[in-house]
Amino acid sequence: MNLVSSESLEKQYLQIRNLTKIFGDFAALKDVSLDVFEGEFVCFLGPSGCGKTTLLRAIAGLDIQTQGTVEQEGRDVSTLPAAERDFGIVFQSYALFPNLTVADNVGYGLVNMKADKAKVSARVEELLSLVGLSDQGDKHPAQLSGGQQQRVALARALAMSPGLLLLDEPLSALDAKVRVHLRHEMKELQRRLGVTTIMVTHDQEEALTMADRIVVMNKGVIEQVGTPEEIYRHPASLFVAEFVGTMNFIDAGRGPKGEVVLGDLTLELSPREEAKLNGGDVITCVRPEDIKVRNVDENTVNSFPVTVTDLEFLGSFYRATLNNDTLLNHEIFGDFSINLVRDRDIQIGNTIRVALPVNRLHIFRKGK
Amino acid sequence: MTDQAVSELKSRAIRPKLSRDDWVMRGFILAIGAWLVVTLLLPLYSMLSKSLESKDGAFVGLGNYIEYFSTPALFYSINNSFFIAIVSTLITISLATVFAFILARSCIPGKAVFKGIALLPLLAPSLLPGISFVYLFGRQGVLKGLLGDYSIYGPIGIVMGEVFYTFPHALMILIAAFSIADARMYEAAVALRTSRIRTFFTVTLPGIKYGLISAIFVVFTLVITDFGIPKVIGGQYNVLATDIYKQVIGQQNFEMGAVVSVVLLIPAILAFAVDRFVQRKQVAMLTARAVPYEPKPHALLDKIFFVYCLIISLMIVGIIGMAGFASFVSFWPYNLELSLKNYNFDLMDGGGWSSFYNSLKMAAYTAVFGTIVIFTGAYMVEKANGFKIVRGIIQFLCMIPMAVPGMVLGLAYIFFFNSPSNPLGFIYGTMPILVIVTIAHFYTVSHLTAMTALKQIDPEFETVSASLKVPFFRTFLRVTVPVCMPAILDISIYLFVNAMTTVSAVIFLYSSDTTLASVAALNMDDAGDVAPAAAMCMVIVATSATVRVLHALLTRGLSRRTQAWRQR
Repeated sequence: MNLVSSESLEKQYLQIRNLTKIFGDFAALKDVSLDVFEGEFVCFLGPSGCGKTTLLRAIAGLDIQTQGTVEQEGRDVSTLPAAERDFGIVFQSYALFPNLTVADNVGYGLVNMKADKAKVSARVEELLSLVGLSDQGDKHPAQLSGGQQQRVALARALAMSPGLLLLDEPLSALDAKVRVHLRHEMKELQRRLGVTTIMVTHDQEEALTMADRIVVMNKGVIEQVGTPEEIYRHPASLFVAEFVGTMNFIDAGRGPKGEVVLGDLTLELSPREEAKLNGGDVITCVRPEDIKVRNVDENTVNSFPVTVTDLEFLGSFYRATLNNDTLLNHEIFGDFSINLVRDRDIQIGNTIRVALPVNRLHIFRKGK
Repeated sequence: MTDQAVSELKSRAIRPKLSRDDWVMRGFILAIGAWLVVTLLLPLYSMLSKSLESKDGAFVGLGNYIEYFSTPALFYSINNSFFIAIVSTLITISLATVFAFILARSCIPGKAVFKGIALLPLLAPSLLPGISFVYLFGRQGVLKGLLGDYSIYGPIGIVMGEVFYTFPHALMILIAAFSIADARMYEAAVALRTSRIRTFFTVTLPGIKYGLISAIFVVFTLVITDFGIPKVIGGQYNVLATDIYKQVIGQQNFEMGAVVSVVLLIPAILAFAVDRFVQRKQVAMLTARAVPYEPKPHALLDKIFFVYCLIISLMIVGIIGMAGFASFVSFWPYNLELSLKNYNFDLMDGGGWSSFYNSLKMAAYTAVFGTIVIFTGAYMVEKANGFKIVRGIIQFLCMIPMAVPGMVLGLAYIFFFNSPSNPLGFIYGTMPILVIVTIAHFYTVSHLTAMTALKQIDPEFETVSASLKVPFFRTFLRVTVPVCMPAILDISIYLFVNAMTTVSAVIFLYSSDTTLASVAALNMDDAGDVAPAAAMCMVIVATSATVRVLHALLTRGLSRRTQAWRQR
């Protein structure tokens, strides 16, 4: 398990220990442990059914775990109902009260605290301007766009100044453009307020752009915890390599001295990857954008010739399909800039020489 | 994870602490459960056990049943009931299917008017068509010649009355079924050059299949359990529902009444079970992506359709109009001068005008308390956390009333509440017991209406309130109730109109202080005062209609205030 526990300056906010959740005879979470630090933005990322929402709901006390403990700010909240925990929550469906105005929605919890009216409306005003909807307080939710509605939901979740903000796929119901825009705004707001935030998403781009740390989950367990760059550059498992970003997977054999070989080409690996090696066949992984073409000749490490069998134009770059029958068990993709394609005259049918850079190659044991 | 590991983990599962909301909700759930047990389950149980007892209360096993089946006069009624139910169902369904098809799929003018007229019978007590047929086809009827040598008193009259009474019920289900058609299927059929006939059999019919089956069983159940029509126009032709009445009221043979009730309960429960099964399938057919079908005009067909709707509508208006006219005639058929003489209810047996005021009160109480109990109950069942088994049991209990004929429920109430050992016995013979039995009788449809509305509400409202530390009942009153207001009004009007028109459940339970309008109409008819009975039916129709209109106005007014958010 990948516990990040020694980051000295950061203060632990949430401690999740050995969480297991069972629905019927299906284990949705299996012995999950995780620490979340104060003020950080954590994303739970994974395919549907991986347990990310279950974990979020356990943290909120909405579906309490079968086993395990949750500590929030040093307080054991494991068995407490949602009403007795400290969090604000935003759902994919917004869950705005349709019959109340925007201002009444945002002030919904404040009114209940018997704060006086002027204070409540001042706080509502403040929250609305925080999410950029100052002049929309009198409207009903249905009169707003999806993006605006989600901002209202965000303002409502922040109204009680919760210590923890939970976001359950908050952007999934929005149009692509609005999503990208709101992504930035939410991240900015979170940074400004410094509220500890957990967001559940199945969208890796969202996780990569917004999170301080990403928790990649699969089948009820945590596969990897790390910064977006760590997750992208150094996937800890075959699942992470496959789930995050585009990746080429090349079956490789083993030479007599244990070296990793593609046909008659011996691959040179970084010490980090060497360390992971033990017996048996392996899969080597390399991202399409890491396949090198410039300054590659016969003497370049890990280089070999390939035939370009297809060239797909994707706007800012080309995705080339590359083939080498003797070395590769199937075709691989290479992402080449427009400049490169022009300079090197890369066309369908041409043969070029490419290299797999040593520090960009990942190795995983086969069948795992 | 192995099964063993799973079950071990479950046995050591941590126990979540319940919030105050959880406790309150569970309290409500138990209260609703207790309500249903006392007003439904226990009475039915005491009826079942009564059917196994002799007059002096000794257990006789199936003795009463053996006696029942060896008395031909009694069990012939089973044949009669099934015969009436099957014939009426066939006729109603054929007529209503065509009517519904025209309203949903053609371009004739005046659809709203036709639909409004077709739904009119819902406002009347079921004995109204019976009374009307007496005037139309009875011994001194205006159209007696049409029947030739046949008598209206008997199967012919019953079937005609049942068709009138069940037509709107079938129509509503069938219109809904025709309305969910997906236009793209018809476009695909046209693109593939399919003939109209083949399209009808391969697209239209399969599309309404489930609605059709559902309508068949609803009509069948309504007919086989109806009491008003066979009572008024059945003559010597006995059916199960009138047998219960005769055994209990005529011969004071409560045990045999219980036996007939159980016999009547069986087809009703079977029909209900099939209907539930089919309804479950229908839901799966609806897709969110369906494109609504837009009917196209067709000169000749639309003319035929219009005439068809016109004839049906004229017949409905004619039947109600006949009763209305007769109620104003001084002395049918000798003195056709119009007067209000028949509305002088205080001069006749049956309870007079006070029975009408009782009915109004009873309907108002039923609408108010019934809506509160049923909607709150549905909310708790739908939105509470945990407590799954109890909620499942309540959900099941809520479905039972649909399968229980009113006569049977009324008789069950006698056995349960009139028992000397029952501490609740003090409500026997009072207004509250009439209200309670009526709520129980019409529980299922109201509950389903509430559930449908509640299911459309975002399930996370309660979660959001909890995270904002707002107790659930605040959200219930401030958000759930206003958002569901159209459904709540629908439930209350449904309860009101049914409480106004019902005869079956209350006929065993009223006392001289709590006579009801529908029962008074029945009793006046029984005593030969047919014109005053018609007058009382018209008073009920007028009241139901007025309340419906008020309801429509209120809904419009309310939606301007509470439903403003629906407009963009």
